[in-house]
Amino acid sequence: MRRYWARLATAAVATAALAGCGLGDTSSSASGDTAAVTGEVKGKVTFQTWALKPKFTAYVQGVIDAFEKKYPGVHVEWLDQPGDGYAEKVLSQAAGGTLPDVVNLPPDFALPLVKESMLLDVGKADPHLAEEYVAGGVDAYRFAGHDGAYGYPWYLNTDVNYWNTELLGRYGLDPKHLPTSLDELIAQARTLKQKSGGAAYLMSRKPGLGDLADAGVPIMAADGRSFAFNTPKAAALLDTYRDAFKEGLLPQDVLTDKYAGNAKLFTAGTAAWTTGGANYIGGLATDNPSLAPKTVASPAFGTPPLYVQGLSVARAGKNLPAAVALARWVTSADNQAAFAHLTSIFPSTKASGSDPFFARSDGTNAGDAKVIAFRSLADAKMLQPVQVDGAMSDIVNQQIALAISGGATSQQALDTAVARCNQLLKD
Amino acid sequence: MTHRRRYTPWLLVGPAVLWLAVFNLWPSVNTVILSFTSARPLGGGRFTGLANYHRALGDEQLADALVNSLVYLLVCLPLLTVLPLLLALLVERKLPGITFFRTAFYTPVIASAVVVALIWGWVLDDRGLVNGLAREVGAITHPVPFLTDRWLLLLSAIALTVWKGLGYYMVIYLSALGNVGRELHEAAAVDGASAVRRFWHVTLPGVRATMLLVSVLISVSALRVFSELYVLSDGTGGPGGRDMSVVMLIQMYSRGFTGHLGYASALSLLLFAVTVGPMLVLLWIDRKAA
Repeated sequence: MRRYWARLATAAVATAALAGCGLGDTSSSASGDTAAVTGEVKGKVTFQTWALKPKFTAYVQGVIDAFEKKYPGVHVEWLDQPGDGYAEKVLSQAAGGTLPDVVNLPPDFALPLVKESMLLDVGKADPHLAEEYVAGGVDAYRFAGHDGAYGYPWYLNTDVNYWNTELLGRYGLDPKHLPTSLDELIAQARTLKQKSGGAAYLMSRKPGLGDLADAGVPIMAADGRSFAFNTPKAAALLDTYRDAFKEGLLPQDVLTDKYAGNAKLFTAGTAAWTTGGANYIGGLATDNPSLAPKTVASPAFGTPPLYVQGLSVARAGKNLPAAVALARWVTSADNQAAFAHLTSIFPSTKASGSDPFFARSDGTNAGDAKVIAFRSLADAKMLQPVQVDGAMSDIVNQQIALAISGGATSQQALDTAVARCNQLLKD
Repeated sequence: MTHRRRYTPWLLVGPAVLWLAVFNLWPSVNTVILSFTSARPLGGGRFTGLANYHRALGDEQLADALVNSLVYLLVCLPLLTVLPLLLALLVERKLPGITFFRTAFYTPVIASAVVVALIWGWVLDDRGLVNGLAREVGAITHPVPFLTDRWLLLLSAIALTVWKGLGYYMVIYLSALGNVGRELHEAAAVDGASAVRRFWHVTLPGVRATMLLVSVLISVSALRVFSELYVLSDGTGGPGGRDMSVVMLIQMYSRGFTGHLGYASALSLLLFAVTVGPMLVLLWIDRKAA
């Protein structure tokens, strides 16, 4: 009898365990959203933003109030999540079935949810999507293997180059002749190193997948099912960086990102070049007020990166018409323009492209940076595929650091990175 | 008249059993199950048999991590078993101002491992205190790559662990030394035993059980090291990821939306097996010596 109970208990535990871990067919399927979402806009909708309180509380609340005024039967519950741990928060919401109706998701956060059919195909739900938003923004929410578009593009940004003119001038470089290519950058880095005796750097970051993509290296195979960035061209680029590193043109800590890239060294006045968004000088004015006025911006080398934020709609939401209407309202040209006037971000609506506010500088260096960034958006692209997850990103960084340090040849490091990333992609 | 109810003991232990079942037993069972799947945080994945374990056998990063763990263990175990005992012997004496030294040795223990590792990172980086001073006195022309060379980074993390652990194990030894009979030392001294002989034949046998406990604690924490290597390498595990520990690998594979939970679970179980090994060896040694 005792053995019987033991067997029963074992079977129960095993059954519960298998059920608990959710084994079974979880292959993704097409969303099945085949028609526009229509119906009365009413009821309660939850709206989740990412780290907008308290700086933009008044703006967001104003947008919500106007929406509720336009649709009297709607009540919007606004949730703002802190900046840190947002991915984990959304993950727990998705796993627990409590994803807000309208949620701010960058494309790489949206993709795993699309794979599990958790997001609404707003391209089908809203037939005017492609007409009203810029192609780059909408395309960021189109994913290989999944028909449709899974988010309203909200706001866009890109990187521009920032230069410490004081350091450049002090160490024999002319701030009026800023580098426009990697070769020029290395040449000027050499001059700055020699003149400063190694006390300052021009270059202070190692390349990433974005740099490889910018150099014309395909990151993924054409079918999007495997990585393919281990090309001779990519190896040549890493060789260039390795030689620069060996020459002492980059600090050693660049191998471990000890300074979180080059921005902190730039802020400390040790590096003369960094990259950042259009609002970088605003932050610099807080962190190093004396450096901010001596900083000038120039266009990014090559293809500027495109950073997209968007609003997705939970497919399981109870009030889909209201959720779609809210996402469209928040990302409308007028509301985006108002948002972009508050901070240096750029609207994703086609109608905002002609807004003179973005194309005209107020004469300050921050204003110049905004104009450069706005003009760069026309050519900006998402350089890193959304398929690259955290582990893949770590592996690529590790192998690039190994190649630059001379611990492996560039080709070996790239081959290792591609093999490991493909293994993860296959999982 | 006493009225005994058979379920009373179960009611008393019930909350504890429930707690253990929910927060210890169930996660452990789930980890075993997940290790045979391709599970992701969203969606359960599918049964993949021994594929994750087979993959682990050929994983060069895991091999590097195990080598790092072994080096960590081999260096930390003797240092953190012996040095705290010597420190405890020094500070157990009743001398004026000895409390200051006891406190000073214990201070690193109460500091957060992450904060300590950050400070060590600033001290050891190529523009940090050590390289700066060495350059000032003309000892070096190029900075020593404490945080970017595979073995120097590992040794830096080990040094940090030893520095931070000294005070903790010293306190454990202090309590053990308090239990070694004073009369034994006096009898040995009357018989003409020198201080060294008294240490070998009175003190050491008296703290042998504590040494075993300390050794087990050190072994487990050395094999499961995370904070020191993570913070000193800024989470990258150094060039090529060659300074990752097994726990760092588990963290790398399991985090985020697309965490590879199946493989991370397999690594967790391998780490468990690796951690149990030295504990069994130490217990066997203790039994043989008893």
